Amino acid sequence: MAIAEDRRRLANRLGWLRVSVLLMFGLLAGVFWFLQVIQHARFQEMAENNHQRTLALRAPRGVIYDRTGQVMVENRSAFNISIVREHTEDLDRTIRLLARVAGIDEALVRETVERHKREPTYRPIVVVQDATLAQVAAVTARRLDFETNVVVQEVPTRRYPSQGLAAHLIGYVGEASDQQVSDDGLSSGAIVGQSGVERVYNRMLMGGDGARRVVVNSVGREIRELEKVPPTEGTRVQLSINYAMQRAAENAFHAYGYWGAAVVLDPRSGDVLTLTSLPSYDPNDFAAGIDRATWASLNTDKLRPLQNRAIQGRYSPGSTFKIVVATAALEAGLVTPDYKVFCPGGATFYGRYFKCHLAGGHGTVDMRHAIEKSCNVYFYTLGNMLGIDRIYEYAEKLGLAGKSGVDLPNEIESIVPSTEWKKQRTGEKWYAGETISVSIGQGQLSVTPMSMAVMMATVANGGTRVVPRLVTAIDDGEGWTPVPPPPAPVKSLLMKPGTVSALHDGLWMVVNGAGTGTRGRIVGRDVAGKTGTAQVISIQGKARAGATEKDLRDHGWFVFFAPRDNPEVAGVVFAEHAEHGYLAAPIAKHILETYFAQKDGLPLPEPPQPKPAAPVPTPAAPTRVAANTAAFDR
Amino acid sequence: MFERRLYFHIDWLLIAAVFALCAIGLATIYSATGGPTNVYWTQIYAIGLGLGAMLACMAIDYRSLGDKSHLIYLAMIVALVGVLFFGAVRGGSRRWIDLGSFNLQPSEFAKATVALVLAKMLGESRRRALTNNDLIFAGILTAVPLLLIARQPDLGTAVTLVPILLTVTYVAGMSVRYLAILGLVAALAAPVAYQFGLQDYQRERIATFLDPEQDARGAGYQQIQARITVGSGGPWGKGFMEGTQGQLRFLPVAHNDFIFSVLAEEQGFAGVLVALGLYLFVIIRSIDAARLAKDRLGAYLVLGVLASFTFQVVYNITMSAGLVPVKGLTLPLMSYGGSSMIATLAGFGLILNVRMRRFTN
Repeated sequence: MAIAEDRRRLANRLGWLRVSVLLMFGLLAGVFWFLQVIQHARFQEMAENNHQRTLALRAPRGVIYDRTGQVMVENRSAFNISIVREHTEDLDRTIRLLARVAGIDEALVRETVERHKREPTYRPIVVVQDATLAQVAAVTARRLDFETNVVVQEVPTRRYPSQGLAAHLIGYVGEASDQQVSDDGLSSGAIVGQSGVERVYNRMLMGGDGARRVVVNSVGREIRELEKVPPTEGTRVQLSINYAMQRAAENAFHAYGYWGAAVVLDPRSGDVLTLTSLPSYDPNDFAAGIDRATWASLNTDKLRPLQNRAIQGRYSPGSTFKIVVATAALEAGLVTPDYKVFCPGGATFYGRYFKCHLAGGHGTVDMRHAIEKSCNVYFYTLGNMLGIDRIYEYAEKLGLAGKSGVDLPNEIESIVPSTEWKKQRTGEKWYAGETISVSIGQGQLSVTPMSMAVMMATVANGGTRVVPRLVTAIDDGEGWTPVPPPPAPVKSLLMKPGTVSALHDGLWMVVNGAGTGTRGRIVGRDVAGKTGTAQVISIQGKARAGATEKDLRDHGWFVFFAPRDNPEVAGVVFAEHAEHGYLAAPIAKHILETYFAQKDGLPLPEPPQPKPAAPVPTPAAPTRVAANTAAFDR
Repeated sequence: MFERRLYFHIDWLLIAAVFALCAIGLATIYSATGGPTNVYWTQIYAIGLGLGAMLACMAIDYRSLGDKSHLIYLAMIVALVGVLFFGAVRGGSRRWIDLGSFNLQPSEFAKATVALVLAKMLGESRRRALTNNDLIFAGILTAVPLLLIARQPDLGTAVTLVPILLTVTYVAGMSVRYLAILGLVAALAAPVAYQFGLQDYQRERIATFLDPEQDARGAGYQQIQARITVGSGGPWGKGFMEGTQGQLRFLPVAHNDFIFSVLAEEQGFAGVLVALGLYLFVIIRSIDAARLAKDRLGAYLVLGVLASFTFQVVYNITMSAGLVPVKGLTLPLMSYGGSSMIATLAGFGLILNVRMRRFTN
């Protein structure tokens, strides 16, 4: 009885145990069903994030060539040292150790890491760009300390084989700013063009970064590669620049001891053959991240090496503006090339006496001789006949007003006044007397060397306003394709043959006759040109520059084209503080000699020998008075 | 070895299920450790030795064992005390007796011993109902090895003794009211114990369990990774040796505490169902053995052995899904571990022993 009861209770309680076990296992099966079937996708993704890493492979930027096939920008391999935070147990210690081992400033490393704080922790943060071999060796030697926390990666980096040559037009690269990252959809840390061609054609040049998808284990060590998308090299770009001419221009500036700018165009196409701005900088300094000291010194340098004077410097054109006045008067039909004016050494307009630079006067001159001698009285007269608005109209048609439209960033406008311009600027009406000053390149004229070059190209080709361009062809891996030239912004002004021949003759005489540009003369090449002197605004200049004497000397212009008939090159040399335009002419001469020598397959001319800067050699009489603005009295 | 008659009453199905689980465990260890490593071979030896222990435990009539239970119990206490003084230290705790080529973990054998001694004490009680004195005595018998094991410290194994006590006293007729009171006391004592009874690392584990994200790199890491491992397995799994979580070591001690997670990852929900089914079969089949047992001693012995086994299985599988705090509790029959394997198979030897002798006198 007792035993039977005992049995019953046991069986009963065993039953309960069985039920609880069944329940527990049912619950467990439910849990696994929930995790493995219902939530599978979510955990699948988490598992993949765990063990798969996508690492960017930086694409080499496109190589840049000059028009003759000379490499102007290429790539080299550099080593970056990066911190990977993912497996860093003590980030602070890693930073400290790395700073010590690599011999770099710890605060700087910390700042870099801080800046990239919000990126995924597996993405390497570059702390040393373009590490030296010693740094790479030091870090590699401490591999056991760093484990997978610090990695050395090889990355393609920009190399500018000619250092500062054409630096302003080529530009430089740098890490994308936060602004660029958000505006252009770039990835953080991407290297992008920050100025010049590197910036304008950045999209093309960048190419496509590749990627490696790899499997890593729990300590971040790479186990195997799942997929590799190789980077595609950036589009190769051929510039219109002629390397030899570019080199010649910069050599000549150095030889004659001037800073300044030079622009040479092909007047038939608008191709920019030379674009120089000096002083320059070395874009290699930027290629792997510029250090603060260099950046600060570039920015605070009074000579402003980062400014591209060719498109960002604005100066008074001086006598070179007479070309615009001559063109306007001839094209407007006000005068013929035979129109003569008597120059007694000055003339009175609107009750004021305006001097010519030659005290005794030029006597009776026609258009050609007026250009040759740069006779102020002749151009006062023409300017007075034209009025400011017609002068403006032709300045614009020639390409001297506004922007040239060259494919470079941050070009500034050239200013040629008009009645409307003055009204907008000051609200005042234009006084006819002001036109007299403008007719010889004084007054509120302010132009860039680039617009000056465009003006000369238009004059050279008989009236077709070209848009300067730097890129002639691109190669995105499937062969070179020419880039169509950009359309001109202003309707071309097809000049009358009489105008063209008068201008060309006059400008030829400036160089080959009794004019001011004889230092630009090349036998047999029929160089045509015009000098000009740009006043440095002395009062403000004195205050700003702290005034060494050189800062106050006038700038010299020399605009030119060659040969006179069917010109092939046209351009401008702007020599800062050269005092006289004719001192800029030898620079142009060297550029042109280089051009012709190369064209004829002859050896390139030697760079001119540096001359002692001080005593300006005294040339023949007419050139002495070329500085027609120096004595000008307003 | 046995009488011929006994041979016919051996539960071959239970044996088959037990060794099927061993085989699944072995294959998963092979995968988790990346091939035929030392760990894999050690496990094979352990299964072999375990088979021997199982046969030995089947050979001797459980009633004779019951008669010697006090001696066996004393031997175990001596071994546990010995471990505290002379044991080999590994990972901060003193659990092993170094036998040269082999390390023995006496605490693993404490489970079967406690089951035996409780079964003997309660099963052969002549009184009609369970008295309070019986309960207290049973509690002391359990508490002594429990505290000794907890001193090692090996809280995980120590706790597995509690289900033995509860199950055996429950089937021996302990009032359900006591169970309810016990549950209530445990619930009330938990915060106090949390504050005063636990060490810092144990508190941290529990805190981490409640919010794994707060320490995703440290203690919460394993739990998160366990869930990812299981979940990413999906219905059909990633395939043998294809699991990324286990193979790439995102999951620590994959061949040991988290063997079931690896199985879930590589064989998917399908594999999980097979393993769960086998465990369930083994447990239900053993409960049957208890029901069929000739005497109370046999029934209690089976249930005592089964209680710690079931507790460990359920806890470990729940842990491998990241649902309970991570604790160093292995999965019997599947996890890597020599002593555990031998002791578990010996335990099943006792269960088979009781079943095969259900008709003998």
